[in-house]
Order: sequence, then C-alpha cells, then structure tokens
Amino acid sequence: MSRSDVWEVFARQTYDEPLHHVGAVTESDEDLALVSARSIYDEQPWIEMIIVPRASIREAIRA
Amino acid sequence: MATVEELAPRTEDEVRAHLAAGKLVEGLRHMSPEYLRGIRRILTVSADTELVSAPSYIRAAQHAPALNNFGSAMSIVQDELAHAHIGYRLLGDLGVDMDALIYERAPDQFKYPYAFDVALDSWYELVLANALYDQAGFVLLSDVHSSSTFGPWKRALAKVDKEETFHLRHGRTWVKKLSADPEDKRRLQSALDWMFILTLEWFGLPDARKRHGIQLEYGFKGLTNDELRQAWMAEVVPFMEEMGLDVPAHHDEEAGRYVIDCPFPAAFDEEAKRWLLDEGPISWDEVIVRWKARGPMNREYVHKLQRWYRAL
Repeated sequence: MSRSDVWEVFARQTYDEPLHHVGAVTESDEDLALVSARSIYDEQPWIEMIIVPRASIREAIRA
Repeated sequence: MATVEELAPRTEDEVRAHLAAGKLVEGLRHMSPEYLRGIRRILTVSADTELVSAPSYIRAAQHAPALNNFGSAMSIVQDELAHAHIGYRLLGDLGVDMDALIYERAPDQFKYPYAFDVALDSWYELVLANALYDQAGFVLLSDVHSSSTFGPWKRALAKVDKEETFHLRHGRTWVKKLSADPEDKRRLQSALDWMFILTLEWFGLPDARKRHGIQLEYGFKGLTNDELRQAWMAEVVPFMEEMGLDVPAHHDEEAGRYVIDCPFPAAFDEEAKRWLLDEGPISWDEVIVRWKARGPMNREYVHKLQRWYRAL
C-alpha cells in the first residue's frame, strides 16, 4: 500500500478536551478507513472521532 | 525496499546524544540503522504475539460454557487483533512491507513465544491463558510503555494497557469462579501444571545467558528478562496461592525474590502437554532448539491468518 492509504485518527472523550491523536489506520478507501478507525480505536467512549489522510498533512514545524 | 541504512539517517552517536537529552525518537528521521533494526525486531515480536493469540483464542472459545462467555472471548480476540494492528502499522511507517510481513511470511518465521504453539483445548485453558499469557504480555508492554524511547509506540500503548487489564480480569474472574468447585479446580490445576512453566519461558533466556546491550541502552525496554520474569511471578504466584492452586514457585523472603521450585528449563512433551520434570533440568541450548522448530499449532494458526489473503 502506498503512503496515501494511511489515515491519521484523532478523537476526544469530552467537549472541554481537544481532539488528540490516537493512532492511524491503513485502508484503500475512505469508508473502510472510517470503519477501521471506529473498530480499532474503541477503547474509550469517544464523543468525536475524525480521520485525516496522511498525505493531506503539512508539517509547519518539525523538530 | 529501501535498506535500513538508507532509511535511518542518524549515526549511533547522534542517537545516543538524542536519548541522553531525554528526547523520544519520533520516526525514521531520528533513527540510526542499529536503532531501526532493534525497534523493528521488538515491534515484530510484539505484533506477532498479539496476532497469533487470535487463532489460538478463537479455537479455544468454542468451549465457552454459554453464548455470552463466547462473546467475551471474541471481544478479547478483537482487542488482540487491534493491538497487532498497532504494531504492524508502526512497522509500516518504519519501511517494512506490512502485507508481506503478515501474509507472506513462512509460519516458522513468526517471532511470537513458543507457548502459543501449544493448543488451548478447553475453557479452563483459555481462561488460564488470559490469567497467565495476558499477564506476561501486560508485564512486557507495561515495561515498554514506561521505558520505550520510541514515542509513537509508547503513546499507542495507553490503549493496549487498558484493554489487557480487561483480559486479565476476565482470566482471574474465571479462575476464581472455577476454583470454587472441586472438579473444576482439579481440571484447572492440571492445565496450570503445564501452562505456568511454559509462561516462565516466555521471558526468554536468563540474564546470565543474554546480552541486552542495545535493547536497554536504546530503550526498547527497561527491564531485563529475569527482572520481567520476576515481575510476572510477583503478580501470578500470590494470586494462584490465594486461589488454593499449586504453582512451582514461591517468594523467598530472605533473598527478596521469587524462586522456581522445579527443574527449569525442562524438557516438554508438546503432544501430551506435559513437562518431563523427572528428567531434571536441560540446557537453554536445548530449549532454543525446541523454540526454533516451533510447536504443534504454528502452521495451522498462521495458515488460518493467511488463508484469505492467498485466495484473493
């Protein structure tokens, strides 16, 4: 699979908490990536989870 | 595929300086070839162990006493697959071909502990696997969680720690329940007799035989094999004693450590699932021969995991 198949997963449990990175999934399309993210990162009762294609991320600072 | 030398740009000295400054390694850009080789090795062992537990636990779950118990066992299997995914996914970011690693590797090239090559044939053995094997996994991963210098893995393990606690509780709750009935307790004890010693082996060669060098220096783990074995016994031995079950180990107050009371390492009859303790201890070289040859279920489990990939 190519780099573009990696999706970064962000989630949070409460509204006063920022979204934070919980992991990544590798899937060839968006629907599968959504299902994978929900089923793999099910360790908390999240109120929000989003996925972002890794290829869309631009690094502004890199230490 | 790019070589380790092409992927990891830093020198060994640069990595040592980075770690000495208390910084985590976040990706290939912070790695030297030795660091990359080492972290790949330990991640592979970890992911392989989580992955192979799935076919092993699924096979044993058919003995669940009721449908809801089967459901709990399946939920554990799902967790284990997600944990395996975390390891392989990180390996993917470290330049490893994940599909080839999972689906194209020969069974005897998988790096999980030998214990999983021995079949779990009853509900007694499955719940003991939760109480013993998952405890071993928990001890190893807690060490990685607190000591690892590889940031992405360290953070990912927050999830794993939480779920392994559930597996452990599942195992212990059942051991407690089954220990209350004399016939169940007898069957539990006979499973414990082979499984306890097999889990002692899980932690690998004793410190006197193994040079940890780079594993500790680069912070792939924090404790040595013998320290991890002690940490595991400190959890398991008091619990089993409390349940009235016999294990061949006890705490030596004077020495301040756990002592194994049977020949160890010993020869194992893998078909009969019985330790040949009367023959006395054997050498670790002989154990390594058994580990390398893999055990009875290796091919079947890996085949099960790879079958549909091959069919596609």
